[in-house]
Amino acid sequence: MSQPAGEIQRPHAEHQYASELAALAFDDRPRPPGWLLAPQAVVTYLLGGSAPDGSVVTSKYVGSRRLIEIAVATLATDRALLLLGVPGTAKTWVSEHLAAAISGDSTLLVQGTAGTGEESIRYGWNYARLLADGPSEAALVPSPVMQAMRRGTLVRLEEMTRMSSDVQDALITVLSEKTLPIPELGDEVQAAKGFNLIATANDRDRGINEVSSALRRRFNTVVLPLPATPDEEVAIVERRVADLGRALELPALPDADVEIRRVVTVFRELRSGVTEDGRTSIKVPSGTLSTAEAISVMTHGLALAAHFGDGSLAIDDVAAGIVGAVVKDPVHDSVIWREYLETVVRDRAGWGDFYVACREVSG
Amino acid sequence: MTEAAVEIYGIRHHGPGSARSVVAALERFQPDVVLIEAPKEAETVLSLAADATPPVALLGYVTDQPERAAFYPFATFSPEWQAVSWALANGRPIRCIDLPLAVSIALGKLDRSRPVDPLGQLAAAAGYDDAERWWEDVVEHRGGDAFPAIAEAMGAVRAQEPTVVGEEALREATMRECLRGALEFGRVAVVCGAWHVPALELSLHTATHDRAMLRGLPKAKVSMTWVPWTHRRLATVTGYGAGVSSPGWYAHVFDHPGESGIARWFAEAAALLRSEDHGTSPDHVVAATRLATALAALRGRPVAGLSEVTDAANAVMSEGRSGPLRLIEERLVVGDLLGSVPAATPMVPLARDLVAEQKRLRLKPEGLDRSLELDVRTPQGLGRSRLLHRLWAIGVPWGIPVESRASTGTFRETWKLRWEPELSVRLVEASARGTTVVAAATTCLLESGAATMAELTALVEAALLADLPDAVAPLIDRLGRRAALDADVGHLIDALGPLARSVRYGDVRSSDAAALRHVVDGIVARVCAGLSSAAVALDDDGAAAFGERLSAMQSALALIDHPARVTVWPEAVTRIARTEVHGRVAGRATRLLLDSEFWALSEASIRMSRALTPGTAPSDGAAFVEGFLAGSGTVLLHDRELLGLLDHWMVGLAATAFDDIVPLLRRTFGAFEVAERRQLGQLISGRGDGRPPAPFGWDLDADRVAAAVLTVQTLLGVNSWR
Repeated sequence: MSQPAGEIQRPHAEHQYASELAALAFDDRPRPPGWLLAPQAVVTYLLGGSAPDGSVVTSKYVGSRRLIEIAVATLATDRALLLLGVPGTAKTWVSEHLAAAISGDSTLLVQGTAGTGEESIRYGWNYARLLADGPSEAALVPSPVMQAMRRGTLVRLEEMTRMSSDVQDALITVLSEKTLPIPELGDEVQAAKGFNLIATANDRDRGINEVSSALRRRFNTVVLPLPATPDEEVAIVERRVADLGRALELPALPDADVEIRRVVTVFRELRSGVTEDGRTSIKVPSGTLSTAEAISVMTHGLALAAHFGDGSLAIDDVAAGIVGAVVKDPVHDSVIWREYLETVVRDRAGWGDFYVACREVSG
Repeated sequence: MTEAAVEIYGIRHHGPGSARSVVAALERFQPDVVLIEAPKEAETVLSLAADATPPVALLGYVTDQPERAAFYPFATFSPEWQAVSWALANGRPIRCIDLPLAVSIALGKLDRSRPVDPLGQLAAAAGYDDAERWWEDVVEHRGGDAFPAIAEAMGAVRAQEPTVVGEEALREATMRECLRGALEFGRVAVVCGAWHVPALELSLHTATHDRAMLRGLPKAKVSMTWVPWTHRRLATVTGYGAGVSSPGWYAHVFDHPGESGIARWFAEAAALLRSEDHGTSPDHVVAATRLATALAALRGRPVAGLSEVTDAANAVMSEGRSGPLRLIEERLVVGDLLGSVPAATPMVPLARDLVAEQKRLRLKPEGLDRSLELDVRTPQGLGRSRLLHRLWAIGVPWGIPVESRASTGTFRETWKLRWEPELSVRLVEASARGTTVVAAATTCLLESGAATMAELTALVEAALLADLPDAVAPLIDRLGRRAALDADVGHLIDALGPLARSVRYGDVRSSDAAALRHVVDGIVARVCAGLSSAAVALDDDGAAAFGERLSAMQSALALIDHPARVTVWPEAVTRIARTEVHGRVAGRATRLLLDSEFWALSEASIRMSRALTPGTAPSDGAAFVEGFLAGSGTVLLHDRELLGLLDHWMVGLAATAFDDIVPLLRRTFGAFEVAERRQLGQLISGRGDGRPPAPFGWDLDADRVAAAVLTVQTLLGVNSWR
């Protein structure tokens, strides 16, 4: 199963940042049972800083220190952590890095979908064995949650609100009793010290299942906000685009930062309904226009430029992506987009090429 | 007599940490006299503090000019308050050592120009955003006696600053003089702002120099008293010792220091949230306490502080909603605690001002119900009316308006007067808002949390009736801004009625009138622009309310003879009348256009006939009729064409359709006067003589009618009877 590291498209956090984690492990402040790092070192790992040996720790999350401190402190208590936020607020990213830093393993993951069954939370059966030998330990297929309980590590639950409510509620016993009964074997799994759960959820999307208040009570909630300033958002997009570009082996393009700033500006303005200078109010389209979409617009543009263009990022490469991200409802949104182009973009100094390119793609 | 010794406790005003340290130090030092930083005159009323419950404030004011005043608030967690309480409980004399208020008022400067929070600066230098945190972490948890260290630090801070001059220098000279005078007691404890500690080093200043400075200062005649204060005012009002942003939390920390206080805080928060229907279990309290403690450990702090408990409450209790956190902020972190003062406290200037006003207007407070008729055209009537309105604004409802002047627009007001003993208490509570009736009423109106259009309109009206020019302008301004944001045409129309009355009945001074007129213009423009979209998709109740609002709007415009009456408003109404809106709205719009002569009768009857044709559902037609007639059948009596249309429509209805609309019609016609119904009946049954029937019959005495007509003409100010 294991592949040479060079061929992996996207290595796990604990592998990619193995040296940083090793350096931070020298921090000898007290650790909660089962933790690989001291809580302060986990905060440093996420926000960046320096390790005890003086080596530099890169910043994984740009944003409020307070929020990360709350998240880490939560995991040190016996409550589970729920990261809430719209797409692109780095929920998954934060949860992966927390798991990597605290348990050294970010791979115990349940992906929540409408089709996720209870066996992803509890356990399933190897039916061939079950039929042949009857219920036995050997016929049991443990879920990531069960494995984490046995090992005393963190388990991640992505998009919890996409799972149906009865599956969500299977978590209640696990989180409050820290046991997972297996009535078929007359046995149970008790969580080893260090076990905890990080769930992520999007509270604004359509097609979500409300979390029951019984389950909600087992979580501390941290709401990850959209980036507060344009500079923060640009920094996030830049870093993620560069990461993705490396993973996809796209050549680095020198003039990408100008376009990133423009894309971020357009997204922020349309999201908030007012221009950055606060003077003009504009209508808000139906799409979420999250930071994640800005990232994908840029990566898409870079791929276009690298494979079909002349190697430098031209505005046309980005324009199509922007229009696709903004115009989700063909009637309603395209009116808003055209209004925005005509009232805001056309007269903005230095944006002439952008205006022309967008007009062309919008038809 | 014990040997003379001086200890100086440099504190942070309103710092719970300082307060605890001061009490501990006093217990240990057992001074023979306690000196506190408060104006000299406060000594006269300090003994009353024993029976007061904080938060309270010392109020000093120029005796014959109560509007020149200064407040010195104290909370339980104020070190000065603790020092006073300790001295009173232990029978030690107290001396107030700050510059007499008589002098600082005469000098005309009550604001302090020095850095307000020098300990805050030290804390900021150490990387703390909250000075109280810094005090806790650095001073309290270090153990031992903190005050020598504070004195040393302040010495270092002040060495960087220029020498104090002006009032500040006078204050410190006074402090030194008082300290010299107190040495004869023996052991002296001084409680003063940390900033002043270095200046109280007697060996560095000569008594002669200080005395020379203090000689020949101007003096005003001032009085001192105590008034109840609130935590909220402590948080918002700046002044002596500056505003405290989290008085509720400080009080909690003072009463329940240490770890156990944290759990108690969350228990209180949970009780509060439960009382507001946010389900919060004991499990939440446990989890929040753990999280706060874990956060404090993570941040390297000895014990959880306000930022930790707020973060924990947010993560555990609010579950991603913003409501619970706001509730905790409002009610616990700030809080509504109200202090009280003993009955023996000297009368507050506000009460004194009221007594003077009562004497001037010859209006004696009585415990019995008394009805008072006021003619506001006379100076005395107007004065009395304004006083009662002002007291109403302050929250001291001595008089209750029996008939609101605003609603009738006459010069007569009727009040029911009764002075309840509890009103005196309310007056004392209100005394924190100002020292005169006018000032207190102004502050009360400006500080009220009114947010909606209706509330703001009521406030503007109240301010106008009470003649409070300083409140009117800001309130009109606030109203204007609110109106710009309010998208609901209904709210705007509701606000317009009272505003139009205010403009029309001349309660407004010329300068305010322009501003008010401007707001009215803005509202009218917005109503006219938004009218047609607000008129669609209404249910029966909504349509009824909307119809009433259309009428109200039209009368408001007529009342102030607004230019929009001519074209803008009728055009907006025309758009409604012409579109497919609820029958009741369309009917009323048609009627208003007819009444304002914007539509001729022929046009109105075309519209009516369209509503009453087979193409329109009978129920819609009936609603149209109800809206059009608006509770009176007179228009039908005078116009045969309209009546004919109605008659024809009703006769032509299918039996089932008729059954359906009978209740509606009953409601419409049931609202008419009996005489109107009778005449209508006669007209339709053809029993009349063909002429439109008159309400009084046809056998009138011409001479007597002429006399009545003449009177009516005079009243209306018209010369000829058309």
